[in-house]
Amino acid sequence: MTSLWPRLEPLLPRVEKPARYIGCEDGARTNIYKPEATSWLLTYPDTYEIGLPNQGLQILYEILNERPDAFAERSYAPWTDLEAEMRRARLPLFSVDTHRPAAEFDIIAFNLSAELVYTNVLNCIDLAGLRVRASERDDSDSLIGAGGHCAYNPEPLADFIDFFVMGDGEEVIAEITDVVGEWRQSGKPSGSRDTVLHAMARIPGVYVPSMYNVVYDGPKLVSVEPRHSDIPPTIQKRTVADLADWPYPRNQLVPLTEVVHDRLNVEVFRGCTRGCRFCQAGMITRPVRERPASQIREMVSKGLERTGYDEVSLTSLSTADFSGIEQVVADTIDEPGTCGRVSIALPSLRVDAFTVGVAAQVSRARRTGLTFAPEAGSWRMRQIINKLITEDDLYGAVRSAYSQGWHRMKLYFLTGLPSEMDDDTLGIADLAQNCVEIGAEYTKKASVTVSLGGFVPKPHTPFQWFGQNEPEELQRKVDLVRNKVRRNKRIQLKWHAPDATTAEGITSRGDRRIGRVIEHVWRRGGVFQEWSEHFDLSLWQEAMNASGLSLDWYVHRHREENEVLPWDHIHAGLHKDFLWQDWQDALAGYGLEDCRWTPCYDCGACTEYGIEHVVASPAPPNGGSQGTGQDLTTGHLVPVELRPRASIGGT
Amino acid sequence: MRLRVRFSKIGKVRFVGHRDVARIIERALRRSGVPVTYSEGFSPRVRLSFGLALPTCYESDAEYLDIPLDPKSIVDGDVVCTGWGEGNTYSTEQLRMTLNEALPKGFEVMALVLEPKGGPSLQESVVSCTWRFDMRGAETDCVEKAIAAALESSTIEAERKKKNETLRENIRGGVHDLRIDGTSELGPMVVAELAAKPRVIRPSELVEILAPGAELGVARRTHQWIEREGERCEPLTPTNSRTVKDLT
Repeated sequence: MTSLWPRLEPLLPRVEKPARYIGCEDGARTNIYKPEATSWLLTYPDTYEIGLPNQGLQILYEILNERPDAFAERSYAPWTDLEAEMRRARLPLFSVDTHRPAAEFDIIAFNLSAELVYTNVLNCIDLAGLRVRASERDDSDSLIGAGGHCAYNPEPLADFIDFFVMGDGEEVIAEITDVVGEWRQSGKPSGSRDTVLHAMARIPGVYVPSMYNVVYDGPKLVSVEPRHSDIPPTIQKRTVADLADWPYPRNQLVPLTEVVHDRLNVEVFRGCTRGCRFCQAGMITRPVRERPASQIREMVSKGLERTGYDEVSLTSLSTADFSGIEQVVADTIDEPGTCGRVSIALPSLRVDAFTVGVAAQVSRARRTGLTFAPEAGSWRMRQIINKLITEDDLYGAVRSAYSQGWHRMKLYFLTGLPSEMDDDTLGIADLAQNCVEIGAEYTKKASVTVSLGGFVPKPHTPFQWFGQNEPEELQRKVDLVRNKVRRNKRIQLKWHAPDATTAEGITSRGDRRIGRVIEHVWRRGGVFQEWSEHFDLSLWQEAMNASGLSLDWYVHRHREENEVLPWDHIHAGLHKDFLWQDWQDALAGYGLEDCRWTPCYDCGACTEYGIEHVVASPAPPNGGSQGTGQDLTTGHLVPVELRPRASIGGT
Repeated sequence: MRLRVRFSKIGKVRFVGHRDVARIIERALRRSGVPVTYSEGFSPRVRLSFGLALPTCYESDAEYLDIPLDPKSIVDGDVVCTGWGEGNTYSTEQLRMTLNEALPKGFEVMALVLEPKGGPSLQESVVSCTWRFDMRGAETDCVEKAIAAALESSTIEAERKKKNETLRENIRGGVHDLRIDGTSELGPMVVAELAAKPRVIRPSELVEILAPGAELGVARRTHQWIEREGERCEPLTPTNSRTVKDLT
């Protein structure tokens, strides 16, 4: 094995934050090299600080390193300063564990958590010393894989990635290792790459884009079809039926330099069936699978003792929905080893489930930041997106927090939602103002940070047919809110740049032709597009023009019912007619209940795969069908109409 | 009472910055159950006071740290642990070894004593530091001549960039010792004792003077010096048997 460390070390004093590149984390494996074993390089295509805490990557890292016939190391995108030094010194991408060159690994696997990292994926492949286009790589070159939520629309990256994995990786990674292991044993002779990829395409949950032909009719997509009869026409996602079987990570990595979410993270459940229609995570990760409370307690207590962290985050898509959340929080704080000095972070809190009880428990220890996500400013809008929380729910949660000693909280909203009118947008400002007024009853320091994101319709959601708002329209809506809260010093407004939202829209619902656009942007130096200092929409516009593709057609156009969508061959279990019906219900303002506590409406996520919810409590933690018990059947009498995409302003 | 600790930072961890070192030590103290004290206020932090900050990318055999302890936790000169160390009572030598278990590879507690609080802070009392460093791309002969010339002269002119202007200043008075001590695979190895007051002089400044165009290789702080009753001495001398953990 080759270590690049002696060549890397002299470059590090010249770059910012050199500790990003040294590895040395507690929990890292440095003595795992086995010359005969199948090797994985798990790569996060963003900075170390963003990538290191990623739970999915850490879970796979451990599972692979437990196998006698495999091992895994990690890599992250080098920041632009080190990249320049590396290119000058002809130093390739390396693992942080043992600093081996990336191209020495059998598989380089990328975690795709956001669309704007796609150009970084190309950059990492190139830095590894490999051709970015899959068709140009040699037989014995590393196989390039990708997984994570964005893999559910693999087409924009199809030209560059050899294989994608859909869904939970815990089980399928073993099957891939077996197939790649055989290829490795064979010595990877000429012509073998096609054979191994063909074998991988037969593994359930694995999509090998080169094994599928794409047919177009002008701009229209006609079909994506397998090239061989033994390859499935549709790729079904993988789902781990019971989280209790997978108590990972057992040894969470403890970095030596500060990262985001720098704390112990324990996943308390996976999946969410609240049914928010804009939320891709909530659609593709169904059903809800809770981890047993006793296992959570053990992971928290062993994890804190091993790492020395004084903060633990109970992670999930909506942690306050966990059965018996109050007890789990109480037990964590009462863990004697922490001397009562542990803070608990509860990301993704539903306001209708955040009770005084939970607030009181959390506030016994050091208070962490509180974030609520009402998502929309009016009840009408929240019915459309199926985020069925009332204004009173929000005020109740906010009151719970202020009364328990919090001074500030964050409120997340989306703008540019289907049928959003100016009254809905302005409602955001009203909600924020009412929240700080409640806060002022308890403390002089009460404040609220409003975070406003532009809505990007995502594949596999009921809103996948909706035409995204133009950047000008998003900016106009941001300004509406801005003007209304400007005078209120207690409200801080932050918003996501509408330009970046537009670029995200290109890749979110793009087809295979968007690969040319991604490559163009990358070749023009467009890396780290998630970072405002590097983002440049004009690069994307230029790339669309150069590829002869229309921004309007890909981003702002409403899709039709019978249109073939670029991800139709990828299945997350959800029936397309269920999603279409939910889209129609949305426009009619009909809510849909959470099926974990009410009868099944057959979305497909359970029935297609013969699995079901794993939920300890048969009732919502806070009572009522959605925690609020409101009548969900009253929709609007007249379905809303979507405004034609050419005009700006109004409906 | 407080713990005064001397520790080393060697190998890849030399790239970890000062603030991150503090976090690493806090975690090790919690894992071991050392009965630390906390600051008051909205978000209480472990009280720690470090000696002179070590620049990122430098190694050290001589980092210092004072940790005020809960006075109730000292019984007959032993430290009674709490939290994850509940039930353990350690002598200072046992505590030194326990902390080493809890620290990442590359950090080692070399000496640890229990002493009464008070006296000047570490940061105020350090007068100079001894450094050992090599220079990539420098010729031993040239460096030898440059050192001789520098020591003979009454001025050693160093350049410092401050915002937009370049400051020139004479640092001769802050260079107490300067000599070649062998060579490494990179180039000549230099030992220098440099003042910490009125400002800290860094080895990187000397490289530019002794071998323009060369680059600082690996620099290690080997000593921090204080004055006690007119004598130059170290705050703590190592008590470990130099069993430096396997460094990668």
